[in-house]
Amino acid sequence: MSNAHGGATKDTANGPPVRTQGLTKIFYDENRGEVRAVDRVDLTCQRGEILGLLGANGAGKTTTLRMLSTVLQPTAGRAWVMGHEVRSEPERVRASLGFYSASTALYPKITPRETLRFFARMNRYPSRQVDDRVEELVHRFKIEDYADTRVEKLSSGMKQKVSIARTVVHDPPVLIFDEPTVALDVLNAIELRQFISRLRGEGKAILFSTHIMSEAEQLCDRIAIIHHGEILATGTLDELREATGLHYLEEIFVHYAQVDDPAQAAEEQLR
Amino acid sequence: MAPRQIWTLYIHEVRSALRERSILIGSIVIPLVMYPALLWAGFAGFSFVQGQADRLTSHVAVHGLPDTHRALVDSIESNGRTVVVRWDDDPAAARDEVARGSLDLLVEFRTVSDGDRTLDDNFQATLYYNGAQDRSRGARSRVESAIESYRQGWIDTARRDLDIPNPVWADFAMARSDVATIEESTRFLLAMIVPFLTLIMVALAAFYPAIDATAGERERSTWETLMTLAVPRSHVATAKYLYVATFGAMGGLLNLAALTLSLRWILQPLAGADAQELAQGGLPLETLPIIALGTALLGLFVAAGMLVFAIFARNFKEGQSMITPFYLVIILPAIFVQSPDIEFSVGLALLPVVNVALLLREAIMGSIPLLPGLLTLASMAACVAVAVGFAQWVMRNEEVLLGSSKGGLWSFLKRRIGQWRTTA
Repeated sequence: MSNAHGGATKDTANGPPVRTQGLTKIFYDENRGEVRAVDRVDLTCQRGEILGLLGANGAGKTTTLRMLSTVLQPTAGRAWVMGHEVRSEPERVRASLGFYSASTALYPKITPRETLRFFARMNRYPSRQVDDRVEELVHRFKIEDYADTRVEKLSSGMKQKVSIARTVVHDPPVLIFDEPTVALDVLNAIELRQFISRLRGEGKAILFSTHIMSEAEQLCDRIAIIHHGEILATGTLDELREATGLHYLEEIFVHYAQVDDPAQAAEEQLR
Repeated sequence: MAPRQIWTLYIHEVRSALRERSILIGSIVIPLVMYPALLWAGFAGFSFVQGQADRLTSHVAVHGLPDTHRALVDSIESNGRTVVVRWDDDPAAARDEVARGSLDLLVEFRTVSDGDRTLDDNFQATLYYNGAQDRSRGARSRVESAIESYRQGWIDTARRDLDIPNPVWADFAMARSDVATIEESTRFLLAMIVPFLTLIMVALAAFYPAIDATAGERERSTWETLMTLAVPRSHVATAKYLYVATFGAMGGLLNLAALTLSLRWILQPLAGADAQELAQGGLPLETLPIIALGTALLGLFVAAGMLVFAIFARNFKEGQSMITPFYLVIILPAIFVQSPDIEFSVGLALLPVVNVALLLREAIMGSIPLLPGLLTLASMAACVAVAVGFAQWVMRNEEVLLGSSKGGLWSFLKRRIGQWRTTA
């Protein structure tokens, strides 16, 4: 099987586009010693599916996604994106995914059009089709009016559109959204969620991390509850309701995380 | 694939940098306008100060002037800017006035008599001036030259009276003649200052790009965006390195071009015919390729060193404080290279920065020793390779990558050695 990147993906017809097996990340901290940020995480994400990673701040969501995007190397375990192993084929993994988070900002001194062209080229989009693809996205995201204005002069809403276009410019089969709505106002957050839903319709495998319960309820096909680096439960919302006998996702989360005193738990999480 | 990716990354870095005002100023504008501005400002400032000094009137007191030498007062006052008063009171009071600044100079005359061995009416003059006052130093200079001129005239008269012919009198007279052409003298002057200034300009031009390429990415939150590109980290490090090196070398080369043009177009019109030959004795054309090569080598080395230090910085402030020691360390040896006594030896050719400074010096002087020249190339290439390799290795470190590494290069190395010892 090949994709727009001219063979950057392996044949994954028999397997999910994203798969992790015992994925573990241990940090060494001068004060705290060994910190197990992610602990033996097993996940899969299928085509046309949004898998939500639901957890409190510091639960291990970002670390998991950073390992999948090869920004971090796993301490143990393995992970595959479109059949490529994150440790042995990091460039192919990165070519197969688009990564969006609050910490992946745009270059302020270049224009949206230059931004899209740069990311398409660097992410191995066929060079002859780069210009067409850039114009397609400029049109699709309605950024024609400011496509040649420097990013530093754009409003946050405009930047968000460019940032999403940047994430999908190389047409990756896998998309990772790490707490994407965290810095957005309500309208921009709704627009972003609608866009992610459309991407699901296009058959993309999407990993979506959030600590906002309502967001996970609305958007995700399956939800993985992560706490202290461990996946405590994975399933559809209905499956989770059935398994716990609870209705609201917030209650389900508290049930799995075994949090008796949320205030104390939040303090522990911060430590 | 690799060269194309590195090229795309490189162009991306350069494009952003050319739109950054601080980089444009530090890497292009300053190297270009520094010499014209300095020459113009220096010349104008010197002319102004000299004009002001020329207009000043010096107030001079004379004490004990022998009657036979009354004409000396006229000689002192002949410049029209010196007023002489006779001081018949205690000279100590006049010295106090000079110290207070209300009088510019006291000339105290004392008759010298040593039997037959001295001419009649011989005297010794002591000039009391205030070294902390510019106008007092000016008065001393005016009076000294007036007395010297008067003295010469008096001696000539005495010689004629004693019937001593001039050739006899002129025994042990000294004359000097410079066999070097003005062009050679100018080259010598340029050889002393150009390597040092080139190094400063290269370092200055690479300074902001090095911070921009590392701490700037983190401060703008584009570092992680960059890390998710489908290219090896080594390509990112290489492109960043080439970007910093380009700006460093460009700053040095622009600076040299500005120097040559300034000598011809600024100094010559300002100084007139006197500077014509000086202006023509600029950088010798035949050595320009070597000078350009030396400047490029400096750019490559400085960029590598700065990247190694700046890569740990999380923001511009940290970047500045991490690079500054390196900046000072590379500039200091170049100051000593300015001494013409230091030879471009094989040993010094192995010492980075010093070797290129000496290579530039020799090239401007018009001779390039082959072996030290080749050793310079080899030594700089080795240093650059080690530094870039180190930068690539550091960029694979997750702590550094995510900006969570505390401290700079030394802290990082200390931790790594500690970890290595624990593992061993």
